[in-house]
Amino acid sequence: MSTLLSIESLGKRFGGLTALQDVSFDVPEHGIVGIMGANGAGKTTLFSLIAGNARPSAGDIVLRGRSLVGLRPDQICRLGVARTFQIVKPFPALTVRENLRTAALFGSAGHRSAARADAANNPILAEIGLLPMADQPASTLTLSGQKRLEIARAVASGAALVMLDEVMAGLTPTEVTQMLATLRHLHASRGLTLLVIEHVMRALMDLCGHIVVLHHGQLIAEGTPRAIAEDPRTLGVYFGEGA
Amino acid sequence: MSPLLAAPVVALAGAGLGVALYRGVFARLIARSAPAQAARLEGNSLLLFFGLSIIVQNVVALAFTPNNRAYAWAGDVLRLGSVAMTGNRLAALLVAGGVCLGVAVFLGRSVFGLAMRAVIERREAAQVVGVDVDRVQWVAFALGFGSAALAGVLVSTLEQFSPFSGFPFTIAGFIVIILGGLGNVTAGLVAALLLGAVETYGVALTSANWRSVLLYGSFVAALLLFPNGLFARRLRA
Amino acid sequence: MKDLAPNAWWAGLWAATLAVLLALPFVANAYLVGVGLSLLMWLALTQSWCVLSKMTGYVSLGHVVFYGLGAYLVVVTWQQLPLVLAVPLAGLLAAAFAAVVGLPVLRVRGPYFVILTYGLAELVKFSVMAGEAASGTASRILFGTPELTVVYFAMFALALASVALFTWVSRSRFGHGLRSLRENEEAAETLGVPVARYKLLAYVLSAAIPAMVGAVMALRSTYFVVGQVFDPMISVTVIAMAILGGGDNARGPLVGVLFLGLLSELLWASAPLLYMIVLGAILVVFVLLVPDGLLGLFERPRAGGRR
Repeated sequence: MSTLLSIESLGKRFGGLTALQDVSFDVPEHGIVGIMGANGAGKTTLFSLIAGNARPSAGDIVLRGRSLVGLRPDQICRLGVARTFQIVKPFPALTVRENLRTAALFGSAGHRSAARADAANNPILAEIGLLPMADQPASTLTLSGQKRLEIARAVASGAALVMLDEVMAGLTPTEVTQMLATLRHLHASRGLTLLVIEHVMRALMDLCGHIVVLHHGQLIAEGTPRAIAEDPRTLGVYFGEGA
Repeated sequence: MSPLLAAPVVALAGAGLGVALYRGVFARLIARSAPAQAARLEGNSLLLFFGLSIIVQNVVALAFTPNNRAYAWAGDVLRLGSVAMTGNRLAALLVAGGVCLGVAVFLGRSVFGLAMRAVIERREAAQVVGVDVDRVQWVAFALGFGSAALAGVLVSTLEQFSPFSGFPFTIAGFIVIILGGLGNVTAGLVAALLLGAVETYGVALTSANWRSVLLYGSFVAALLLFPNGLFARRLRA
Repeated sequence: MKDLAPNAWWAGLWAATLAVLLALPFVANAYLVGVGLSLLMWLALTQSWCVLSKMTGYVSLGHVVFYGLGAYLVVVTWQQLPLVLAVPLAGLLAAAFAAVVGLPVLRVRGPYFVILTYGLAELVKFSVMAGEAASGTASRILFGTPELTVVYFAMFALALASVALFTWVSRSRFGHGLRSLRENEEAAETLGVPVARYKLLAYVLSAAIPAMVGAVMALRSTYFVVGQVFDPMISVTVIAMAILGGGDNARGPLVGVLFLGLLSELLWASAPLLYMIVLGAILVVFVLLVPDGLLGLFERPRAGGRR
């Protein structure tokens, strides 16, 4: 399988604080890679760097052989990268449909008219369960609905690489199961590559083919879910040394 | 009535107006705004108070005519060493300096001042740790309006004034806040002194005609160069 | 099908307004034509302002700067340049000014942007004043200005252009991008909207017509006063009209302009101070209690604005 995204010795400092240090890993095309780590480990920073919301202090981010460093977020989106935000950022006064329309018009999907964009988005709305409220303002959605809106928008942009930031947070076990099914279906039917930050272990282990563990901004382990679950370094981080 | 007597009365009246406006107007604005829309709220409150100031200026003009007025008070020149200045300027300096010192001590040393600084930085977090945000806010309004009223009295002893002469001072105030960053009093003081120096020396070098150009020029430059304030702490990523 | 009734009502209002305004110079006296001219002027100014401020959420309190620049250009090139050239040139000048100033100015957000635009307008005003004084120009007098009818129809054209511009922006992909960045600038950029470029384009588009309006209005009085053409109350009035109307499409300004424009005609001559108070009160009341304007009151709450 070819590599879609390559993270090479990535580093990020905010003043005196080192958020990421010498992080390197590859994301295979059509793969689902999980990012694991305690709070403050640098996971969301990683997403911000890839999406262009922040600039790396060191290292490179290569998408299909092309460096993303220095590009603006909108340029990176048009190259096929989309992300969700941990703290949701809907367009409050716009309807759910109009929220997705932005992604479809301006992302790599590149639709030129509102009508075509809306038509292309309907299946996504249906799959993610937002079709009934499609014409309501995004501000009227519950938090769970707004989180699903984040995902729908990212998919609607036509991105090949979709980065999901803790989309399971706050869901009941039943909802988690539903969401896992939705994500697997979206992944399969659209040939997506997923990069997933998660704290909900079941989701991570279930969904991902490969997991990367971050701790204090450094990559301390990576491998299959099984290997990670048994890795002494990971266990040490989560349960203390000697676990 | 001598300005010395009028000053505290006016200051108190100003403070009262501030509290009234807070209760009647501002509290309602906050209540109906979603917490996430902070920038929209700040923008709206700016328009709101702009509208209020238009109302106040014109009501006063209607009541007292829009013409320029002036009065003389303590205009005799005093000499302190090699420095010569008029009595009213000296009084203004002393009073204003006193107020600045008072505010700095209040914000920096008192418990209430600490609460106020907390609310400036993060209102919800301050609430969570038990700060009475409502009280902090109306006190802030009272202090702000009161000291502005006091400043107005001081200025009236120095220059001609009309109901509409408040605006350049508002702008100057904004410059100080922007350069100093919201909530940082010491930086504000530094910025104020800088601005005063620029104005005085600038006017001396060119002419009074250019005074406004200098004022607004500094203002625009300050904002363009420091969109987040001169001494502002960097926003969290 | 349900939408047809309100749409028909609006079409009727537009048609009636434009028909009356078009017919005015042929049937009414000079005073009424002046009122019509004033309404057209405010319509052109407010529609243009909305292209920037309603669509991007960046509220400009200094839009009079473009108006003043346009007026100043016409006055300065009086006798040297035919009006047919001077007026469009005013538009181009303002657009260029906006293009240059816009990039740094639009990096400033929220209330800072509001007060910055105000400061910028005042800066230009006082600079022009100082410049005039320095060059020893005591006053500028325009002789042989075109008659009222010509001025009137020029303004009619500008008003029409502004409505067309705002309607186009409101319905285009560009407009959707602007609305998105208004709602959440970071999210919009992450979804592919080129926010910096779009903001600047909106700013430039909103500058051209006000400048041409200023250029045409300068022909109304023979005596040119810098303070008048850069009067901040012009900016405030535009905002009041837009807020009164509400919405982010061309209908809001129509409502706001008709309402406030006619009100000002009633009060201006007799009680200008009272009029200012009313203006301030409108700002206060609408920002506080009716943030979606009259449009928001009468139409079912509908997000975005597609019309």
